[in-house]
Amino acid sequence: MVNSKSLQKKMYLSSARKKIMFILLCAILTVIVFIYYLKVGFYSTTMSDIFEIISAHFTGKEVDYQADLIIWGKRIPRAIMAVFCGASLAVGGAVIQTVLRNPLTDSYTTGISSGAFLGVTLFLILDISLIPSAQNLSLVFNAFLFSLIPVAAILVVSGKKRVTASRLILTGIAVMYLFSATSTLLMVSTDHETLSEAYSWRIGTLANTGWISVPIVVTVTVICILFLFSKSREFNIVSAGEKVAQSLGVNSKKVTVMALIVVAFMTASSVSFTGTIGFVGLVAPHISRIFIGSDCRYLIPASAFVGALFLLSMDAIAKVSGDLGLPVGVISALIGAPLFVIILVKNKKTAWDI
Amino acid sequence: MLYMLDILSNQMRDNVSKFEEYRRGNSSKILFIIVCVVLLLIAALVSLSVGTRIGFGRTAEVVFNHLTGVTYPKRSPEWWEDYYIFQNVMPEVVVAIIAGAGLAVTGVIMQSIMNNPLADPYTTGISSGASLGAVTAIIMGYTFSSIAGEMGIVSNAFIGAMVPALIIILLSKRVGNSPATIILIGTAISYFFNALTTLIMITADSEALQSAYMWQIGSVAGVSWSSIPLMLVIVTASSIFAILLSRSLNLMTLGDESARSLGMDAERLRMVCIMVSSFLIASIVSYTGIIGFVGLVSPHIVRFVVGSDNRFVIPASIVAGALLLTVALMLSRLLNSFGYIPIGVVVSFIGAPIFLYLVVRDKSGREIW
Repeated sequence: MVNSKSLQKKMYLSSARKKIMFILLCAILTVIVFIYYLKVGFYSTTMSDIFEIISAHFTGKEVDYQADLIIWGKRIPRAIMAVFCGASLAVGGAVIQTVLRNPLTDSYTTGISSGAFLGVTLFLILDISLIPSAQNLSLVFNAFLFSLIPVAAILVVSGKKRVTASRLILTGIAVMYLFSATSTLLMVSTDHETLSEAYSWRIGTLANTGWISVPIVVTVTVICILFLFSKSREFNIVSAGEKVAQSLGVNSKKVTVMALIVVAFMTASSVSFTGTIGFVGLVAPHISRIFIGSDCRYLIPASAFVGALFLLSMDAIAKVSGDLGLPVGVISALIGAPLFVIILVKNKKTAWDI
Repeated sequence: MLYMLDILSNQMRDNVSKFEEYRRGNSSKILFIIVCVVLLLIAALVSLSVGTRIGFGRTAEVVFNHLTGVTYPKRSPEWWEDYYIFQNVMPEVVVAIIAGAGLAVTGVIMQSIMNNPLADPYTTGISSGASLGAVTAIIMGYTFSSIAGEMGIVSNAFIGAMVPALIIILLSKRVGNSPATIILIGTAISYFFNALTTLIMITADSEALQSAYMWQIGSVAGVSWSSIPLMLVIVTASSIFAILLSRSLNLMTLGDESARSLGMDAERLRMVCIMVSSFLIASIVSYTGIIGFVGLVSPHIVRFVVGSDNRFVIPASIVAGALLLTVALMLSRLLNSFGYIPIGVVVSFIGAPIFLYLVVRDKSGREIW
C-alpha cells in the first residue's frame, strides 16, 4: 500500500517534471527565435552589430543612424510585441476554453474582434472617434473601447439569477453578430479604397508596431497572465462542471465572469494595436493541451510560451515573405494549420476526449 | 393495504396528469410550427410586393391568377407585372425560404452531432472552402470547371465547399471522429482556407476585393429559377433525412458512450450527417454566398419555445429559419431605396435582438442546451 502510494507520487512528480521541462523548452526556444528574429529581414545585420546597437542605448555610444533605426526602432519593438501578443492571445484562449468547457472558443469568443472592428470601421468610414484629441491613437482608442462593449453586455446578463455558461456565451455571440452586421453595413456603403483599408486592419499585422505600444501591451499582458495563473486552481475546478464546483465551494459563474472580463481586457489591449490576429489564440492552447494535458497550473504558462514562440516564428517568416511582407495572421494559418493537423494525427488525442 | 392502494392510485393519477401535460405541451409546440408557417406565407407575399410599384393587393391577385392559370396577351401591362413578379422577385423569395430552411436544419444537425451549442453549418470549414473557390473565380478568373461567368463562380464555390468535408472524412480514419477532433480539424481547415482567400484578396486591387467581399457577405439578389431545382431537391431530401433521424440525433447529445450503450453507432451517424450537411450547405452557399447567423441562431431561438427534443426542434427550425430569412429579405427589399443592404446583414439585425431578448427574459434557468 505504502509502496504503491509512493510509486504514484513518483509518477506524478515525474509527469510534473516533464511538463515543466516542456515549458522550459518552449521558453528557451522563444529566446533563441527572438535573437534570430532581430537578425532576419530585408536589412541584413550581424549578431555583433545587434548587440552593439542594443548596448549603445544603455551606454550612450554613437552608432550608425540607419541601423539603429531599423534594429532599435523597428525590429525590437515588433519582436517584443509578437512575444506578448502571442502570449496574451494564447493564455486568453486557454482560460476561455477551460472555463466554458468548449474547444471551439478562443480569446475572441466574447465578441472582442467584432467590437474592435466596429470601432475601426466607425473611425475609418464615418470618422467617428470616441477620443478625438488622441490624433494618431484615436483608432486604437476606438478599437479598445468598442471591443469591451460585448463583454459589458455579458456582464449585465450575468447579473441575472440563473444564467448558465452557455447562455453567457450565446449573449456574447448575439452582440457579436449585431456588431459585425453594423460594420459590414458600413463596409458595403463605403468606397472600395476605404473598404480595403478596413479589411487589412481586420487581418491583423505586427508590421506597424513602434515603441509607443510596447509598454502598455507588456504591462497589461504580464499583470493579467500572472493574475490568471494565480487563479488556475479555480479554473480547474470550474472545468470539472458546475455541480463539482458547487460541492467544492467555488462559485463557477463568478469565476467564469471574472475570467471573461480579465481575458477581454488583456486581449483588447493588444488587439487595438495590432488588429485581430487569428489562429494563435485558438490553436496554441490546443497544442499545449496535447503535450501537457488540461491542468491550468501548467496549461497557462505552457500556452503563454507556445503562443509567444508561435507568433514570433510566424512573424519572422511573414516579415521576409513577399516584397513588403505578409500579414502574420495569414502566415500563421498557412503554416500553423497543417502543423496542427499533423500534431493531432500523430498524437491521436486532443485532451478533450479523455 | 388500503394505504398502499392509495399510493398506487395516486401514482397512477400522477402519471395520467403527466401524460396530459406532455400532450398539451406537444400541441403547443405544433401550434408554434403552424404559426410560423402562416407567418412565412404572409412574409413571402409581402416580400413579393415591397420594393416594387405593384401594390400588395395587386401582387396577391397576380400570384393567384398565375396559379389558377390565367394568361394575358403578350407584353400587355398585366403580362409585364406577371413577368416581373415571377421572373425577378419570386426566385429571390423562394431561394430565401429554401436557404433559410437548409441553413437552420444543418445548424440543428451540427449542434447535435458535435454536442456543442456554438457549432453551426460552417463549423466543418465549408464556408472557407466555398469562399476560396468563389474568390479564385472572382479575382483570378480561374474556374475548376472551365465554365465562365456567373456559373463559374457557382461551380467553383460548390467544389471548394466539398473539399473540407473530404479532408475531414479522410483524416477521421486516422484520428477517429469524436466531436472535439472534428471541431479542431474543421477549425484548422477553416483557418487554412481563409488564409489562402485572404492572400488572394490582399494581392487583388481594391475593386476586385470589394466584389469578393460582397460575395462573402451573402445575398439572394439576382438569382434565377435555374438555380432553384438543385437546391430545392437537396434541401428537401436532407430535411426529411434529418426529421427521420431526429431520435438518433437526440441520443447523440447524450454523448458517444451513452449512444453506444443504447445500440447506436454514433461515429458512423456523425460521418453520414457531415456528408449530408456538406452537400446541403454547398448547394446553398454556392448560389447565395456565406449567409451567417441563421444556421447558428434559429435552432437556439426555437429551443426557447419548444425545448430541446429534436423531433420538434428540427421541423420548427426549418420553418423558423425560412421565416427569419424571408423577413430579412422583405426588409432588405424595403430598404433598397436607401441603398443596397445585403440580406446577410439584415438577418443579424433582426435576429440578434430577438435572440438577446429571449436570453435575457428567460427566467427558467433550465439548460436548454
